[in-house]
Amino acid sequence: MAQRFRARRDAPADAEQDPPRLRVVDVDAYPDWDAIYRDNVERVYRLMYAKVGNRPDAEDLTTEVFMTALRPMRASASVGEVRAYLLATARTVLATFWRRTLGREITTLDEQRDVGLLTGDPPPEDTGATEVDRILAELPDRHRRILQLRFLEGCSIKEAAVTLGVSVSNAKVLQHRALRQATAVAERMRT
Amino acid sequence: MSPARKFVEDMLARRRVRRAETTEDDAADIRTAILLNSARPGGDRPDEEFVAKLGARLAAEADGKPKGNNRRRFVQTTSVAAAAAVLGATVDHLVQPSPATEEATIVPDQGQWRAVVSSAELVEGAVRPFDFGTVTGFVQRAGGDVHAVSGICTHLGCRLALDMAALRLNCPCHRTAFTVDGAVLFHQLPSTPPPLPRLQVRENAGNIEVLVPQRPV
Repeated sequence: MAQRFRARRDAPADAEQDPPRLRVVDVDAYPDWDAIYRDNVERVYRLMYAKVGNRPDAEDLTTEVFMTALRPMRASASVGEVRAYLLATARTVLATFWRRTLGREITTLDEQRDVGLLTGDPPPEDTGATEVDRILAELPDRHRRILQLRFLEGCSIKEAAVTLGVSVSNAKVLQHRALRQATAVAERMRT
Repeated sequence: MSPARKFVEDMLARRRVRRAETTEDDAADIRTAILLNSARPGGDRPDEEFVAKLGARLAAEADGKPKGNNRRRFVQTTSVAAAAAVLGATVDHLVQPSPATEEATIVPDQGQWRAVVSSAELVEGAVRPFDFGTVTGFVQRAGGDVHAVSGICTHLGCRLALDMAALRLNCPCHRTAFTVDGAVLFHQLPSTPPPLPRLQVRENAGNIEVLVPQRPV
């Protein structure tokens, strides 16, 4: 059955000859599980990465979302239903992850706010980047620089220290203070 | 080193999050660190090998179960009109008319406030079922606010079962599920059923109370 749908989608000429009443699924439906996975794995991974910040955890959480969603979801659901379900699953998976690790929900997924992250096609424009730009713009030069070096450019603490012409221990203190200040700026911007 | 600093060092070294006790200040710094990290160009691209492996694992899982499509076809022929009639018969005069895509609020014209659970017991994230004969449903606290939704499926009126682990309300009849705040999670019906009607709820004298009709409807 799945095969038939796929063949039909791949051959638009044939599809047009099919009487519409024979179509059991929407045009916007996935033909099978494989299609659901291929279309959504990167979206779910990016979403999780944006929420936890590291690859191994983002991979684990992505795995958990798909393994959890596999059984209850029927393969021929519409694209919108599939995304809504993946997002709802991702929300609880993420919440459980934070409760298990740091004891409080550090980042959350909100169906209304974050649905754009899943549906954005091609992959979502980075709203994170613009918020980061605005936060960094408010910081003194050296604070902004250390955060850019460490978080955006992937420098080690040693490399960052050399670039800034300070000792490693000074760079650590600078980074810590810069992050605290960035948090204060971010909180001010949200209120 | 504070939990926040440890987290940041782990994250920058691309390591997993480690268990730790955190304060609200730690959490705020960690949030900022994750946000800064997310702005790194290309950092969020999934590893191809990971994508391939997980795909293979899911395919193996999917093959392990029967692919019964007959039942689904049967379900899809269920009349929408029948569903609408049943829904209309049960909550007709309680539900404010609204488009099917918006949730209605049930406001009894002769109602009474009935306590479901003490405020203290309904902690953040908790969900509690209630059944007053005239109306059944679930109260939940999310983001500090308390909500109540009807516990009856809007398709054919089956009573929903709470799945606390997945935080959802399952319909035993046609594989339909709602979120605990009433939105449709998934279904196999010809058209999306309306979200669950909301019930009026308040916190009063240390209790969570729901406004319910006095007579069975």
